[in-house]
Amino acid sequence: MVQAIEKPKKPARIPASNHPHAEIIHRLEAGGSMLPESPENLMQIIGIYKAYAVPMDFYWRDLLYIAERVFLDPLPFFKYFLPQEYLDLPNHYAGETADYRVWQKGEASAHPELLEFMKTGEVKKDLPKIFHHLWHDRINMEFAEACMEAMLWHQGMGGQFNDYLESEEYIANADKAIKAFFRKNPLMLGLYKLFPEMFYEKVRQLSYYANLGLFWEVMAPVFFEMSDLYDEGKFKTVADAMDFLVNGIFIAAGRPIYHHVYVGDECYEIIPKSKGFMWLYEAALPYVEAVFYRTAPFRGTKSYNAQAEQVPDEQKDFHYGILYADVFPVGTAGIPPTLLMQDMYHFLPPYLVEYYQQYCRGEDDVLIQLGITFQRSMYNVTSAVIQALRTALLYPLDDPNPKHLMKNRAFFEAQMDRFLRPEARLRDIQSQDYR
Amino acid sequence: MLSVLLLVPIIGAAIVAFLPMGESKRLRQFTAIIATLVFAWIVYLLTQFDLSNSGFQFSEYLSWVQPIGLSYSLGVDGLSMPLLALNGLLTWIAIYSSRGDIERPRLYYSLILLVNAGVSGALMAQNLLLFVIFYELELIPFYLLIGIWGGKKRGYAATKFLLYTAVSGLLVLAAFLGLAFLSATPNFDYNSITTEGLGLTTQLVLLTLLLVGFGIKIPLVPLHTWMPDAYVESSPSTAILLGGVLAKLGTYGLVRFGLQLFPETWSLVAPGLAAIGTVSVVYGAMAAIAQKDIKRMVAYSSIGHMGYILVAAAAGTELSVLGAVAQMVSHGLILALLFYLVGIVEQKAGTRELDVLNGLMNPIRGLPLTSALLIMAGMGSAGIPGLVGFAAEFIVFQGSFTTFPIPVLVCIIASGLTAVYFVILLNRTCFGKLDNETAYYPKVLLTERIPAFVLTVTILFLGLQPNWMIRWIKPYTTSVAVNPTGLQIAQVETQK
Repeated sequence: MVQAIEKPKKPARIPASNHPHAEIIHRLEAGGSMLPESPENLMQIIGIYKAYAVPMDFYWRDLLYIAERVFLDPLPFFKYFLPQEYLDLPNHYAGETADYRVWQKGEASAHPELLEFMKTGEVKKDLPKIFHHLWHDRINMEFAEACMEAMLWHQGMGGQFNDYLESEEYIANADKAIKAFFRKNPLMLGLYKLFPEMFYEKVRQLSYYANLGLFWEVMAPVFFEMSDLYDEGKFKTVADAMDFLVNGIFIAAGRPIYHHVYVGDECYEIIPKSKGFMWLYEAALPYVEAVFYRTAPFRGTKSYNAQAEQVPDEQKDFHYGILYADVFPVGTAGIPPTLLMQDMYHFLPPYLVEYYQQYCRGEDDVLIQLGITFQRSMYNVTSAVIQALRTALLYPLDDPNPKHLMKNRAFFEAQMDRFLRPEARLRDIQSQDYR
Repeated sequence: MLSVLLLVPIIGAAIVAFLPMGESKRLRQFTAIIATLVFAWIVYLLTQFDLSNSGFQFSEYLSWVQPIGLSYSLGVDGLSMPLLALNGLLTWIAIYSSRGDIERPRLYYSLILLVNAGVSGALMAQNLLLFVIFYELELIPFYLLIGIWGGKKRGYAATKFLLYTAVSGLLVLAAFLGLAFLSATPNFDYNSITTEGLGLTTQLVLLTLLLVGFGIKIPLVPLHTWMPDAYVESSPSTAILLGGVLAKLGTYGLVRFGLQLFPETWSLVAPGLAAIGTVSVVYGAMAAIAQKDIKRMVAYSSIGHMGYILVAAAAGTELSVLGAVAQMVSHGLILALLFYLVGIVEQKAGTRELDVLNGLMNPIRGLPLTSALLIMAGMGSAGIPGLVGFAAEFIVFQGSFTTFPIPVLVCIIASGLTAVYFVILLNRTCFGKLDNETAYYPKVLLTERIPAFVLTVTILFLGLQPNWMIRWIKPYTTSVAVNPTGLQIAQVETQK
């Protein structure tokens, strides 16, 4: 069982913040979340964590399957058709075989609701898999790939992982794997000879598949456990949920990030575990930065004109992630996650279904309502990341030294500066009426 | 047979007024049933209508107040029959689309039924005095409908409407009295009244009275200033009846009494009428472009489209008169759809402001179907082929071109302006990004969509098969035309 982090007791007195988000900064300084404290918010975010975790259980397995098995298959038509081997792949944070059992009651193999959905889909008919696939009655891996692409594209977000992808050691490892993978395919080997960089770049992308898969392998059982704890009445506040996430982050922080490729029975270590790439710095933080904050303008009903400077010059200034997302426009598999909303919709807990029926257009706009709930929940996850970073890099919230608290304050204010731009939904989520 | 169209709504109005049924929705259902019966009877009459007969049919006569020449004389022909059908349909639409929680429902629904009876009476009347009675009968119900259930400035709009249209009625009455007395006819029956023997000046004076009287009702520029206020301040249901039905009494009167009773004088004033019609078309379009309120925009568009009817009536050819009547029907249907949809937008979004509305096409949180139908209605109004607006305007332009080429060309250009303001309206309201702050609109229920579906299907059907509209009009236009058509001129020249 994960222990909740200690709450601040008697914080030293420091002057009130003058930041436009001062109220939220003060809440963070008191050990709270960016998401306001309310039973309704707690119910929403836990419900959506559960609904997110089920497709996430598919995402991480398929991401690893693509990175490890599909690899450079030039015609990967069936990359979303997860084999039983990967459905049974034991999660390292659930089940009897877990390295650390975060999800106490769950099994290490794929979630039962996921298996049921994969079998009968939304149409509730046990049809051949190809029909469910073509009818889009399936888990939409396109969302997971969009997240991976965001991480690949933004790259320089701290850590050593990305630099390693350019190293000679990585190229040598990739070379071995590529030659082994195409050993019976002279055409592809010939192409590799002619255009090696193209193949390396594709392998780098696959390394990000593995990276994201390993990240989500941790998050799925964390969310399942949170849902169970809430059902048992063990979560009383939004801050409780955030603290659980902070603890989860620290538990998994040192988990290795690697990329293995299997050709037959042989394993090729493109990024060996021994390189020491850690889950927190090489996967979690880049993921939050790339997916929650940055991503890219998506192809929805709102269009952006780069020539009219509607898109920032610098990638670091991009602000199209879920924390800024306008959930109303509908579009493709980009972010905001239209397809993720569709995936989560299949696994909503009954109390959340009932809740959505009461507001706005009920069933008709449930995707938007759950999208906005998802936005709230991701502000809570981001709060956990901010608190985790503060814990790792700065001072406790109840530090008796005012100078230390002022450094904490400066850190929180710097984080909140990112939400000053009008697109940020931080102000919106402060109101319960934002649905 | 025709008395049914008067008795059913009048008796229905009396029943509704005293029905011990407090709930508004049940009253609406009851009133809608009455309107359905009336409309069903009109459909029956349409099936019984003799398409080869250019005269009045289903005639009924009862000598009522003989000393003053007033008789209860009814009949329908190709001019009044399509308008009767329009009146029946739009009354049903207006009742069905009324709010379920409307205040004073008994009075409200009684008045709507009285409006229906009044318009039907005016269209069926075969006696000038009877026409005036029904024509004037409209004023009080409409005054109350605007004044009680209207918007913020309803008092102002209702009073202005009453003053203008009362003057209209007085002018028409004066013209009829003058016509009867000066022509020394013993009564006011249509078949007795004639302008033969009257001097040109007398005819001009009488025709001018009629033109101004009906011009107010249509309304034509510069007699139109009551109209935007009345349309905008009315509830959507009342606006549908005002624009779709009441205004048609003006154009009906022009054709029935101006063109039919004063054929020679009509030819004299026709160029001036065509000019006024053209000015109305251009002014209506320009004014609509300048509006920020979508309901006001639709109201001004109505002025423009009524201008086409005047141009066509002024031309006086068989085809142009056919176009004029077809345009009355087409305009009534399209305007009703526009007002209905604008009412839906206002009800759901809480505003009619162009600068506030945005992104209504959003498929999940917007009003996508309403927006789609609004686009359809805009296309119909702009005369896009395949819709009834195109059929009517095409006949108007083709029929009037030989007589008034320049005004018709100006009208054609102005019909392009229709597309301009509808593109502005649709671009600002339906397209773009839905604002997060405002997009909590209630969804449009299926029952709320039904009137729009009915109107849209009718507009589409008559656009694809305009013969179903003009087959009832054609016998009348053959008998009333005062000018030869281009084809007829060509035939005459060939024979020479």
